[in-house]
Amino acid sequence: MLLYNVRLAWKSVQRYPVLSALILLGIALGVGVSTTFITAYHVLARDPVPGKSDSLYYVRMNSWGRGDSPFRQDPPPLITYRDALELLKSRIPVRSTATFSSQATIFPRDGVRPFRDGVRLVTADFFPMFAVPFRYGGPWSREADARPESVAVISSALNDRLFGGANSVGRAIRLEGHDLRVVGVLGPWRPRVRAFGLMGNPLRAPEPVFIPLQLAGPMSFQPSEMQMNWRTPQPGEEALPYASQLMVNEALFLGFWAELPDAGKVREYKSFIDAYVSEQKKLGRFPNPPQNRVTSLLDLMEEERVVPPQTKALAAISLLFLVVSALNLIGLFLGKFLARASNVGVRRALGASRWTIFVQHLVECELMGLAGGFLGVLLSVAGLAILNRVYGDGPDGVAFFQLDVPMVFAAVALSLLAGTIAGLYPAWRICAVPPARHLKSQ
Amino acid sequence: MEFGPIFRSLLRNRARVVLIVVEVALTLAIVANCLSLIMDTQAQLAKPSGFDDEHIAVIQSNPFDDRLRDPAVLNRLVDQDVRALRAVPGVRAATHTSLRPWESSGQITAIRVPGSRGEPTRTQRAETDPGLFDTLGIPVVEGRGFAEAEYDRGADAPPDQVLPVVVSRALADQLYPGGGAVGKPLADADESQHFQIVGIIDRFYNPFGGNSDKVMLVPGRSVAFDSGSYYLARTTGDPGSLISQLEKGLLGVEKGRFLHLRTLVENRTEFHGRDRLLVASLNGVMALLVLVTALGIVGLTSFSVAERRRQIGTRRALGADRMAIVRHFLLENWMVTSFGVVLGVALAYGLNFGLVTWVAGARLSPAMVAAGALALWAIGLGAALGPALRGARVPPAIATRNV
Repeated sequence: MLLYNVRLAWKSVQRYPVLSALILLGIALGVGVSTTFITAYHVLARDPVPGKSDSLYYVRMNSWGRGDSPFRQDPPPLITYRDALELLKSRIPVRSTATFSSQATIFPRDGVRPFRDGVRLVTADFFPMFAVPFRYGGPWSREADARPESVAVISSALNDRLFGGANSVGRAIRLEGHDLRVVGVLGPWRPRVRAFGLMGNPLRAPEPVFIPLQLAGPMSFQPSEMQMNWRTPQPGEEALPYASQLMVNEALFLGFWAELPDAGKVREYKSFIDAYVSEQKKLGRFPNPPQNRVTSLLDLMEEERVVPPQTKALAAISLLFLVVSALNLIGLFLGKFLARASNVGVRRALGASRWTIFVQHLVECELMGLAGGFLGVLLSVAGLAILNRVYGDGPDGVAFFQLDVPMVFAAVALSLLAGTIAGLYPAWRICAVPPARHLKSQ
Repeated sequence: MEFGPIFRSLLRNRARVVLIVVEVALTLAIVANCLSLIMDTQAQLAKPSGFDDEHIAVIQSNPFDDRLRDPAVLNRLVDQDVRALRAVPGVRAATHTSLRPWESSGQITAIRVPGSRGEPTRTQRAETDPGLFDTLGIPVVEGRGFAEAEYDRGADAPPDQVLPVVVSRALADQLYPGGGAVGKPLADADESQHFQIVGIIDRFYNPFGGNSDKVMLVPGRSVAFDSGSYYLARTTGDPGSLISQLEKGLLGVEKGRFLHLRTLVENRTEFHGRDRLLVASLNGVMALLVLVTALGIVGLTSFSVAERRRQIGTRRALGADRMAIVRHFLLENWMVTSFGVVLGVALAYGLNFGLVTWVAGARLSPAMVAAGALALWAIGLGAALGPALRGARVPPAIATRNV
């Protein structure tokens, strides 16, 4: 029966080629526009660490040491180096990491001019927490964090550039005058939203080099993205080793993440943070009212407006566009169907039930919907290519916005929806045609 | 005019009327909201920095040679660099500064009028040499700029020394609303460091950290091996054509470093990239939407004309001229479009309320609603004109056939 209806639909397309082309174009435009902007929304809004985001929590507290704290509603987005090192000692979270981003000059071996690129300082737990894929080797050990060992994990792009893509585990890279041993090479990895660096620009590509957090001192790495200071340095402080300066200068520049598997652990960790802050208050730090927050990744994304409101507005508007396109098609389908009302009259007189006629026409609408939807997906690929010209490619050479499987399914659903909106009323009208009237004039 | 008969005939074709009304209404709602979003974003894009953006090259220098770890060497390098930049033919002025126009980065600090209570004022802060004002093209309109000696001293000024500062008009007006800010004192939030306003610049807009028009400029060099140094060069012609000469000049001074050169316009374009994309997307959606709606009206009117060929023939046979037929269809269409426009104005405000409440967006401006309504009336009439003219060509003789 379905096949029969498909054949009828094909015949109807052949009979009204111009009208059918217009209908197809209408659906394609509607689906194309809405798929483009919903994809843009989806790429930014989807879970950045599937399977893990429920257990990742961001820690904030107000360590601002003066009465002029600009943080009235929310605590500062970042914490200090000394607090980060203290929090890392807690064994309540399954894993925890503190991280910041810096810049370094990288020296290729063979006398090529050095170049500058980003470096992210993390602890060993960072890699499993954010599901970072490895091609060769793996993360360094927790012991390497504490010593700290001169080790590094590098991106596949940097591995290609420095080592021609070979397995470079065990070899050395030269960074800011220090030799670091490569322990791991990442696989292709370009999260569209970098969950671990939401503060600042969350859409930026991950840095190509990862090194242990506590190398910040000996290698004097300064934060390159965001840093907040309230403390005026004491005379003579500049003469201290950089590692000691980091401990005393109270600069806020680290993001802190804890992996907490269940609500009980979250509560336990929250009270641990509260206790830590009141402890520090006794020591004369944290003079402002406490603002301790342990925020889940997805809540933080909402708070930090990772999806720009304009992108949401565009997605909403593009859905309405699809509705207008579909409404438009009601008229076209109506014209097309009523033009062959006499055919339907004959079929009804020969015994076809109203339901049969209704299904036949609805099938035609849905088929047009699907065909238009297919064209629409092609259109949205073109639309996304235009968006990508601004958002650019990742270091893996993969465009920023891409259709993924859920979005293709969504596009199919949208086309069926458009077919239904456009077809329901015309199909109902045509199946209500009284057969007698059309038989008379034959 | 035939309002009565047309209205009654509309009641007999409810499906078609409802379709056009809903379509026009939705289109108006979307177009009005898109227009408001576009105007809002355009206003942001159009704000000038006040600087001579088109004639400025931006240079970042990051040393890697260990020789340059010596602060004295690094300090000397800065002076040599600025001289080398000025020596390139076509360069009018050059400056060593930490101010980064159109990069959405820099330093935010809290300051106050000494002795005042309450919330300190937040402002951008940058260290600079005396050449900044000439290089950006922002004259000091009150008071004075910096002296070379102040710039040289800046780096190792003891904390108890009062530093001269130049502030933007917006900052001066906020701190000293009565005017006459030149010569007045300032301090940082906990009054551990003191400043004196020596000059005011009128033009300053650098979107960063929510303090786009406020800046406090301090004489001094921020030179460090790890952070590198930052220069701006103002050229007489297109700065893009001088990039390679500027780079050659600087590498002639010192090779043990990494240089990154670009034009300020490139910075600005990148800064505006996503907003431009938003405007382009909204324009695209709007254009397609209007096209789709116009096609829809053409289609529906064509059907209504085709359905009524016999009636038209009858009217023509009874003495109506072609103009009367065209007028009939245009009037009918105008009435339907008007219903749509009225409903659309309501929908536009409803959609705007939804967007502003749940998503964000710009408040709807009545002018944009009016512009959208006018456009839809015009589009409705334009779309109906073709089918109406075709209707007018129906010969009266058709009325006599097949009765």
